Amino acid sequence: MNVIYPLAVPKGRRLCCEVCDAPAERVCGACTVTYYCGVVHQRADWGSIHEKICQLLIPLRTSMPFYNSEEERQHGLQQLQQRQKHLIELCYTVAQKYIFEGKHEDAVPAALHSLRFRMNVHGLSSVELVPAYLLLAEASLGLGRVVQAEEYLSQAQWTVLKSTECSYAIHSLLHRNLGLLYMAKENYEEARYHLANDIYFASCAFGTEHIRASGGYFHLANIFNGLKKLDLADTLYTKVSEIWNKYLNDHYQVLSQARIQQIDLLGKRFETDTGLDEAQEAEAIQILTSILNIRESTSNKAPQKTIFVLKILFMLYFLMMNSSKAEEYALRALHLAKKQKLSVQEQNTIQDLLNLISVEEAQPIT
Amino acid sequence: MTTLPPLPMTRPKLTALARQKLPCSPRTKPRSELIKEKDDIDHYLEVNFKGLSKEEVAAYRNSYTKNVCVEMLRDGYHKSFTEFFALTEKWDALREAARVRSLSWAQRPLEEQPDKLDHFYYYLTRAETAERKEYFEEVYNNLYALACYFNNSEDKWVRNHFYERCFKIAQVIKIDGGKKEAEAHGHMGLLFEEDGQLLEAAEHYEAFHQLTQGRIWKDETGRVLNLLACESLLRTYRLLSDKMLENKEYKQAIRILIKACEIAKEGNDKKMEGEASYYLGLAHLAAGEYETALAVLNTYGKISADLDDDLSLGRAYEATAKVLQSQGQMAEAVKYLKKVVKIAKNNFQNLDFVRASTMLGDIYNEKGHYSKASEYFQQAFNTTADIMNISLKDETKVHYGIAKAHQMMLTVNSCIESADLTSLDYLLSWKESRSDITPDPTSESRRSTMESLYHTSEFSEEESSGFSGNQKNDT
Repeated sequence: MNVIYPLAVPKGRRLCCEVCDAPAERVCGACTVTYYCGVVHQRADWGSIHEKICQLLIPLRTSMPFYNSEEERQHGLQQLQQRQKHLIELCYTVAQKYIFEGKHEDAVPAALHSLRFRMNVHGLSSVELVPAYLLLAEASLGLGRVVQAEEYLSQAQWTVLKSTECSYAIHSLLHRNLGLLYMAKENYEEARYHLANDIYFASCAFGTEHIRASGGYFHLANIFNGLKKLDLADTLYTKVSEIWNKYLNDHYQVLSQARIQQIDLLGKRFETDTGLDEAQEAEAIQILTSILNIRESTSNKAPQKTIFVLKILFMLYFLMMNSSKAEEYALRALHLAKKQKLSVQEQNTIQDLLNLISVEEAQPIT
Repeated sequence: MTTLPPLPMTRPKLTALARQKLPCSPRTKPRSELIKEKDDIDHYLEVNFKGLSKEEVAAYRNSYTKNVCVEMLRDGYHKSFTEFFALTEKWDALREAARVRSLSWAQRPLEEQPDKLDHFYYYLTRAETAERKEYFEEVYNNLYALACYFNNSEDKWVRNHFYERCFKIAQVIKIDGGKKEAEAHGHMGLLFEEDGQLLEAAEHYEAFHQLTQGRIWKDETGRVLNLLACESLLRTYRLLSDKMLENKEYKQAIRILIKACEIAKEGNDKKMEGEASYYLGLAHLAAGEYETALAVLNTYGKISADLDDDLSLGRAYEATAKVLQSQGQMAEAVKYLKKVVKIAKNNFQNLDFVRASTMLGDIYNEKGHYSKASEYFQQAFNTTADIMNISLKDETKVHYGIAKAHQMMLTVNSCIESADLTSLDYLLSWKESRSDITPDPTSESRRSTMESLYHTSEFSEEESSGFSGNQKNDT
């Protein structure tokens, strides 16, 4: 049975809901260590993150088994730590992915989990908590709760200020979220300042042409787009597209080199991948699709740019092994090229891309 | 081209604030201001009553570089940002490398040079706006201004970086008929020349020359661009040929110098033409082609005579004399050298005078006219006494000593051979006293010369003393 009675619980032990911290009435049947206040919350949590981490929670929430020797105890403790860290990463990635896909509701429980586990592992005022706070802030912004987002962000900022060794990446992330906050509050001056800081820190950490910096450029471009400074926005969008293009092309080159070297040995068909984790892939899709939409609205003046973005999207989906979407984008590119009567060379390159997919599909899967 | 007027810059707010807080800005406050009366409000509070704004905090906390970067990005100048960022990284890398090599690093860190950062901001942002509107001339001008600003010894690499960018942009500018492109070629040539890569420098200078042929463009200082091109091209060719001569690649060197001569002729500048012929002549001499050398040097001489340039005329004659000497026509060589000596004396060219006299003395020495040789060497020695060049002085001393010794050779030998008491007496007293004694008529000239020989050889190096040592052993 999934229902529990709060009064039947031993004295002093309060069971609280995962999602809202109210007194718990239900328990998850699969793991029996997770409690909820009602069916609504249970369903929400299950859909968002609990499905993935259900079994992983069991060893963390029950008491440690009895070990015979000190060594084993130490080993057990270490394993516990490892499991917690793994959970943290998983929750974080899942939450990020939801945010980039636009599912902010689902992101909240996942982000909360990430935060709680980080608190358990690192303590209450460690720098490690900052990414979780930022994620929660972004989710709240997505849901439109600006005040809550601001709270989370001030918490994050305070933690960053107090800590002595905060990496550039975290600074960059903090400023990006601050920028997004101010964009939501329509204070564009502040937003630009923060996004500028974000790009600076990202460049310090990763280099000016890295994909991590592309997000900052993208949001800055959105601001300028909103402010109707279209040429500025345009150059920034071009920059973002170029960054992604370079990354994907380089990655593809490396992969094809590796494949050429190894295909003789194994004769097997190789998995292609993007070298990104799911969240970054989702981010890429979001950024590139929005750029595509903006380009298409001005398509008549500069069809090359639209085709450029379409090609990048093709490459991304191709590397993600999603051939149908890749084909769709390639066909769109070809169609647009024919319509705009672009050079034959351009059309040929697009045709090559289409052939790539058919080659992939034709090869037998071993 | 070197100094820019002070910029009427509208400094962005952040950087203006930051400049105030910089440690290098001097702030002196009289001590009386520091002492407060009972109810006086603190000056600081008065000024900053509202507390610090976020931007002021940022200005305090962040480095100046960061402020400039943030300002650039805020206004959307991402290309300027990328370039600026790359340059600062390179600067830091160079500093690190220098620090590893030596303990002291002469260049101040970028933080303490806010002017440079301001210049970067100003010009790079303007260049980017111009680039967006595709006014490539504007872009070129801004980048060129930056290059000029960094034209000091420690920031050469920054200047070179901007020269390269100017070059790329200049290749796109077609409106002004290629003037900017020509200038850019000139700068790239200068870059390579300083670096020592003479072949690339020559290429760029050739392009420069070709583009400016027939046009009367002038650069900022008013010099005609074509002349500038010719000069630089000649200079590069000369350097190239020098290197080749060192490696004994005579044919190539001569080929290049012939090209240089042609270019100089096209340039319509007699002086340059003359110089080019001079070097060509020297190259021929080194290669051993005496006839051609003579012909070429004759032209040089004529040109210098036309221009009334005594110095170059002197050089021409000297070179001709060298050629003749190598050919073996000593009399002709002597004639030319005498002309050189006269010119040098007239123009107070001490070094040339010394050199020419030494050469004359050499020739006479070889021929056997020792008195004349020693006369010329004496002249040379006296002149070197005026100059402070010690090694030169020693050299001429040695020559003088040798010439004197040769002069004395016959007389001393005859003294020794005659082997009668008087001559032996003379020899002994000469060796003992080593001073000017008036000798008897037959050996008078000999003795005086002997004395003066020993007089000078006291000061001389081992060579002449070695020689006289041999003499002693003989007796």
